[in-house]
Amino acid sequence: MVRPRYFFSETFTSFKKNFLMGFTAITTVAITLFIVGFFAVLVFDIQSIINSIRGQVELAVYLKDNITPELNDYIKDEISSWEETGNIIYISKEQALERFKEQNEGSDILKEIQGNPLPASFEITLNDPEKVELVALRFMDKDGNYIEGIDDVVYGQSYVNKLFSITAIIGTIVLLIIIVLLLATIVLIFNTIRLSIYARRKEIEVMKLVGASNWFVRVPFLFEGFFEGFIGSLLASIMLYIMGKFLLIKGERVIVETMRIKDLAILGSLNIIVYIYAGMIIFGGLLGIISSVIALRRYVKT
Amino acid sequence: MIEFKRVNKIYDEENAALKNINLSIEKGEFLFLVGPSGSGKSTFMKLLIKEIIETSGSIFIAGRNICNLKNSRIPQLRRNIGCIFQDFKLLPNKTTFENVAFALEVIGRPGYEIKVQVPQVLKLVGLHDKEMSYPHQLSGGEQQRISIARAFVNRPPILLADEPTGNLDPATSDGIMKILSRINLMGTTVVMATHDRSIVNSMRRRVVELEEGEIIRDQKRGVYGD
Repeated sequence: MVRPRYFFSETFTSFKKNFLMGFTAITTVAITLFIVGFFAVLVFDIQSIINSIRGQVELAVYLKDNITPELNDYIKDEISSWEETGNIIYISKEQALERFKEQNEGSDILKEIQGNPLPASFEITLNDPEKVELVALRFMDKDGNYIEGIDDVVYGQSYVNKLFSITAIIGTIVLLIIIVLLLATIVLIFNTIRLSIYARRKEIEVMKLVGASNWFVRVPFLFEGFFEGFIGSLLASIMLYIMGKFLLIKGERVIVETMRIKDLAILGSLNIIVYIYAGMIIFGGLLGIISSVIALRRYVKT
Repeated sequence: MIEFKRVNKIYDEENAALKNINLSIEKGEFLFLVGPSGSGKSTFMKLLIKEIIETSGSIFIAGRNICNLKNSRIPQLRRNIGCIFQDFKLLPNKTTFENVAFALEVIGRPGYEIKVQVPQVLKLVGLHDKEMSYPHQLSGGEQQRISIARAFVNRPPILLADEPTGNLDPATSDGIMKILSRINLMGTTVVMATHDRSIVNSMRRRVVELEEGEIIRDQKRGVYGD
């Protein structure tokens, strides 16, 4: 006695007749999930920015001007042999000056430069950014002085360390926000659906009175719960997509430019956003059904 | 058709709603259940459709003990017992036709059957010209007739009426009673709880009087009481 047509038409007509309740439920799902999704996207975005910064943690080893070519080669071979070393580039004095000129084009500072005060250097990218301090120490002897031929080693230790700890804190805070928001969302959606079922308790009473089976009473409400959750989360995804397209990516560019990050993994984070969308829509639909089941328990016992 | 054997219903420790009820109602009988408010009339009705569960004793319908009925079989029981109430319990957002058709739809009857049955039963209660009206557009008597149509459209062997004329004036009540009599003449067992002295006295049917949960009178062709 399965009659899908009855259920679909009943879901549809009841939604038309109880439009305000349905509308409320859908908007509630859409807005709350949008906020949750917004934070989730934000986390992944920040994460991807931080990952690209981490990928760019590098050591600059400045060489003394009077270094012999033999020592120069020896240091280079030595660095290349370390397993932490990802990439190593030699920047000669001339290249350094060239780059400096590029970066400061049009600035007055260029006029004051006489000759070439810039040192040659090795720029080392590390496979494991967190080992940066360990690697830097290898350029020192046990008294804390640089070994022969090395003028200075720069890796912005405090900057890197702070970045890692701030990342961890931000991650935890946002995760907490997401959990709280998610709980609020569940409660809010559940209550809205419960309210819309409460508004139709008379209908349920009559259905039971004339001998409708329990599943017959439940199914249209389950359909409706799913429908509301699904449409609501779909709307939330669309809003998120629009916002992501116009705001987040612009924001990312600002961050990229101010922090001079070379290749931000925007594409990577967009992939994750697709998962967030899918997750939200599945979550919304399931939440709608589960809320309906729980809310119906009061009315459909026997 | 209906048999109560030593049925007790206790809501709380102090007061029993029904005490040791033994009663047998024959097929095709018309029975008035009378007594003051709180005497147990509604409890009696609710036990029959298993809206509440008896504390002890057995209730038989058509020879079957409904106390052992599984929860999943309750809808089947209710399809065989039509119910009408003082407050009609109509769905306000459905038309007359839809309200009656609803009773057939939810028990899975096919559309062509609904199209035949609903106008037939609406004709029986005299509402065939009000098919498209909504309950709020109709009088109390007409609304009660929709609810009778809904209870009877499925042709159940038993019809329970809990104060069906409680909200209606005497002339309208007479109309309702005529319909219930007609349904009774078609072979349906009718049990009606009522306060309405004049209706009971004019119908001269079996009267069972309850007081504080006990049967104090059971009379063939009885009257309301002193």
